[in-house]
Amino acid sequence: MPRPELLIIGGGVTGLCAAISAARQGARVTLIDAAVNAGTTANAGSLHVQLQSRFMRLYPEQAPNVEASLPLYLRAVREWDALEASHGPFEMVRKGGLMLAEDAEQLAFLETKARREADKGLDVEILDRAALERIAPWLGPQIIGAELCRDEGKLNPLAANIRLRAVACDLGVSLVRDRITSLSIGSEVQLRGEIDSYRADQVIIAAAWGAGDLVSDLGLSLPSRAEPLHMNITEPAAAGIEHLIQHAERSITLKQLQSGQIVIGGGWPAKSRGNHAVPEVLATSLLGNVALAGRLVPGITGLRVIRTWAGMNTTIDGKTALGRMPGAARVIVAVPGDAGYTLGPLVGRLAAELAGDMPRDVDIAPFSLARFAA
Amino acid sequence: MMSDPLTFSFEGEALSARNGQSLAAALTDAGQRVFRHTGKGSPRGVFCGMGVCQDCLVTVDGQPNQRACMTLARDGVEVRRQIPRPDLENATTAAGKPTDAPAAREMEPDILVIGGGAGGLNAAAVAAAAGASVLVLDERKVAGGQYFKQPAADAPLLDAQQSDGADLLAAAREAGVKLLGGVEIWGAFAGPLLYATAPDDTPLVLRPKQLIVATGAYERPRMVPGWTLPGVMTTGAAQTLWRSYRSLPGKRVAVCGSGPLNLQVALELARGGADVRLAAESAPSPLKRPLSAMALLLAGPTLSLAGSGMLLGLRRAGIPVRYDTELTAIASGPDNTLRATFRRDGKEETLALDALCMNDGFEPQNEILRLLGVDMQYDPAFGQLRCTRSDSLSTSVDGVYAVGDCCGLGGAPAAAAEGRIAGAAAAAACGFTSKENLGSSHRALARARRFQKRLWALHDPAPRTLETLPDNTLICRCEEVTLGQFRSGMADDADHIGAVKRVTRVGMGCCQGRYCGPVAARLVANATGRSLTDHSYFAPRVPIKPVSIGTLMATQEALDAKA
Repeated sequence: MPRPELLIIGGGVTGLCAAISAARQGARVTLIDAAVNAGTTANAGSLHVQLQSRFMRLYPEQAPNVEASLPLYLRAVREWDALEASHGPFEMVRKGGLMLAEDAEQLAFLETKARREADKGLDVEILDRAALERIAPWLGPQIIGAELCRDEGKLNPLAANIRLRAVACDLGVSLVRDRITSLSIGSEVQLRGEIDSYRADQVIIAAAWGAGDLVSDLGLSLPSRAEPLHMNITEPAAAGIEHLIQHAERSITLKQLQSGQIVIGGGWPAKSRGNHAVPEVLATSLLGNVALAGRLVPGITGLRVIRTWAGMNTTIDGKTALGRMPGAARVIVAVPGDAGYTLGPLVGRLAAELAGDMPRDVDIAPFSLARFAA
Repeated sequence: MMSDPLTFSFEGEALSARNGQSLAAALTDAGQRVFRHTGKGSPRGVFCGMGVCQDCLVTVDGQPNQRACMTLARDGVEVRRQIPRPDLENATTAAGKPTDAPAAREMEPDILVIGGGAGGLNAAAVAAAAGASVLVLDERKVAGGQYFKQPAADAPLLDAQQSDGADLLAAAREAGVKLLGGVEIWGAFAGPLLYATAPDDTPLVLRPKQLIVATGAYERPRMVPGWTLPGVMTTGAAQTLWRSYRSLPGKRVAVCGSGPLNLQVALELARGGADVRLAAESAPSPLKRPLSAMALLLAGPTLSLAGSGMLLGLRRAGIPVRYDTELTAIASGPDNTLRATFRRDGKEETLALDALCMNDGFEPQNEILRLLGVDMQYDPAFGQLRCTRSDSLSTSVDGVYAVGDCCGLGGAPAAAAEGRIAGAAAAAACGFTSKENLGSSHRALARARRFQKRLWALHDPAPRTLETLPDNTLICRCEEVTLGQFRSGMADDADHIGAVKRVTRVGMGCCQGRYCGPVAARLVANATGRSLTDHSYFAPRVPIKPVSIGTLMATQEALDAKA
C-alpha cells in the first residue's frame, strides 16, 4: 500500500466527512476505525442548534464556550443541508426544535436564552400555549410555552452513515479496521495500532473521546471525556411530530423518524464498562427518560418501546477542538465536543481543508488547540 | 366443556368462539388467516403461537398490539386488523391514562421462577416443599409450558401428556407455589432485579433472593421464499391451536422440518380431523441408519417405542412420511391456498394446502440469562448457545439458576430433572433443606441426556446453511429484509452483526431479532471466518418484549412514590 498522504483516525461522521473532503481534493486517504463505541454507530440523529439546557445544567462552566460557538452550530446544520442535497436522502427534516416550559420560571429562562441566541444569529421565537396548540397539539396540557428554534432538525443517522460511507468508498478512501494506540512524529507520522503499523504525511485525529489519550504522548492535555448515554426507540406510529422536542430543565430529546418510530434520548446516563466495551443500559434511565417523554407528549403512551441502547457522547470544554497540534503540525485534531453528530460534517471538512492548506469559509482560530498546550 | 358460546366481532363481522379460546384460535376456526398487514403491505397471521413473533397483532376494543395468540376471546369485544402505523393518541384522553394504571406491586419471594413449564414447575414444587416462598411467572394465562400444553378453560384433558402436566401443576400448587399467569417480563438487571407487567397492567417489580430461569425455547423456522405467508406457522403453533383450543390450523395440512415434534403433531392433527397430506423430515430415514436407531432404543425403550407407535399411527392414518425431503418454497395460490414445494431426490412436488407447519429445531429463550451476563458457549451441533452451569444448575452469576431448554435444547424430561435439582439448590441457598432425592434426579437427568443425544443423531439439529437459498428469501420478518439485502449489507461492512444490523435494519423490528438474529449471527460468522460466541448474536437489550410507554410511566410513578 502506498503511503497515504492523509490518515484519519476515527470513522464517525467527522472522520468520514474529513475523508470525503480530502479525497475530493485529490488526496490519498486512509480511514482507520476501531468499530467499538466508534463509527457514529449509536447516534440518534438530532440536529442541535440552540443551547441545550442539559449542557448548561451539567457543565455550567462550559456554557460561555457553548454560547460563543452558536454561530458554528448554525453553519453546521447548513453543512448538513448541503450534504443532504449532494448525497442524501438522509430523511432530514428541518422544521425546528421546541424547548418546552412547564412553569413561569422555565419560560422566563427560555426568554432570556432566546434573546442571547438571537444576538448570535439564531432564528428563535417564544411561543405561548395558543401558538403551540397550532403546531404541536399533541403536547401535554401542562406545557405553557416553548422556545422554537427554526434552525434545528433531525435526520436518520443510519441512512446518513451508510450513504457517507459509500461516498467515501467511491472516492477511493481506504477503510481499515484497527485501533490506533500511539503516534510518533518525524519526517512523517508513524502510528501503531493493535493489528498493524502505519505511516502517513499527515494525520487527522477525529477520535472523539479517544482523542485525549492519543495526543497526551505528544504533550497536549485535551480533556476529551466519554459520556455514555441512554436511548430508546418505539414501534412506528403515524406521522405527527415534526419538531425536535427538548425541555427547559429536564434531560430529553424526542423526535419522530420517517419510519414513524419515536426516538427518545437526551442525555440520560448509561453505565460505562470501559471505553472498549458497549455501555450497559440502566433501568433508572429507561424508566425516567421514557416516563418523562410520555408526560410531555401523552399521545405516545400507547406506543411500545421496542429497543434501548447506549452510546458514547464526547465532551471537552464546551467548544470544538480543531487545529494543528502545537509543535507537531503534521497532526490535526478534529473533535466537535458536545453535539458531535450535528457539528461533525463541518468540523471534518474544515480539518481536511486545513490538511490541504485550502482556504476556509469559517475562521477556526477560536477552536485552536493552543488552549490545551502545557 | 368449552361449550359456552362467545360472540365477538372481527372487522365488523360477528364471529363465535368457545370459552377459553385464544383470539388466534377463534379466528382460525372462522377461516380468518390474515390478522394484519405490514407497513409494506404483506399479509400476516399466526406464526409462532407463543407470543414471540409479534406477527398476529390485532386491535381489541381500540387497543392495538394485542397478540391474538396470547389474548383470550371475550364476549362482545371488537377486534380489528392492526394498522401498521396507528395515529398518535389525542393528548387529552391519553393524558389521564398513566395515573389510571394500577399501582406497582413489589415482590420479594425467596425464589422467583420464570417459566411454568416442565423445568420451572418442578423447580418450584421442590423449592416450595422445602419451605421457601416461591413465585412462578408465566407468559401464558395457563401455565404448563410448551410440552405439557394445558387445555384452555374447562376442556377435558386430551391424553397422558396433558394429564401429567395437570398433575405437575396441582403438585406445585399443593406445595404452596404461587403461580401468576399472563405476566410479561420486560426487564432484567443485576441484582437480580426484574420488571414485569401483570395481565391487569399492574407493574411488577421483583427482587428475589434466588432466581431460576426456565424460559424454554421457541421454534426455529424453515426460511424459504413465502415462509411469512398467513397459514404458514410453526409446528408448535399448530399444536397449541389443537391441544389447547381444539382448533385445527386448516383442513389440508403438511408438516415439515426436522425432529420428533413434527411427526407427533402430524398425527395429533390427523386424529383431530385434519387432512394431513405430508410429514416431511429432512434427515434420512432411521431405517437407513439401523445402528443409530438401535442405540436410541437402548437409551430409552419407552420413548423409542412411543416414537415407533407414532410412525405406525401415521402409516395407519395413511399420512405419507417422507425422509430426505426439503421444503423449498411457498407461494400463495387462489382462495388463500398455499402452494408448498418440497424436494426429494432431486425431484420437486407441489402441494395445495390450507396450512403448512414447520419446525427445524429450537432456539433457546435465553434473553434474561444473556441480559444478566450469564456465561454461554456456542454448540455447533445444535447451532445455539448453551449456558454454562454447575452440577446444581447454578450459572456463572450469583443467585441465578437456569434449567431446561433456555440453556440449549435438552427436552422436557431433562428439564424436569434439572428443575428438581435447581429447586433444591436454590432452596438450600435460602436456608431451606429439601427432602428431594437428588440422586434419583441426577440419574434421570443423565438418562434423559443420553436419550436426547441419540434421538437427535437421527434428525437434523444443526441449522441449515443458507447458501442455496434465493436472494428473495426474507430473513427478518419484521423489517422485511431479504437474504439478498443482508448479503449486500455484509459486502459493505461484515465485521460484526451490529454493523450489518445498522446497514440493513435486520433485527430492528418488534420481534427484536428473535428469528433473524441466529441466522444473521451465522452468516456473519461464515463471512468473517470467526467462530460463534455469545458476542456473535445481537447484544441483549431491554425491553425483553415490547413494553408500552404507559406501563413504563406507571412503573416509574410507583418507584417515585416509594422513594
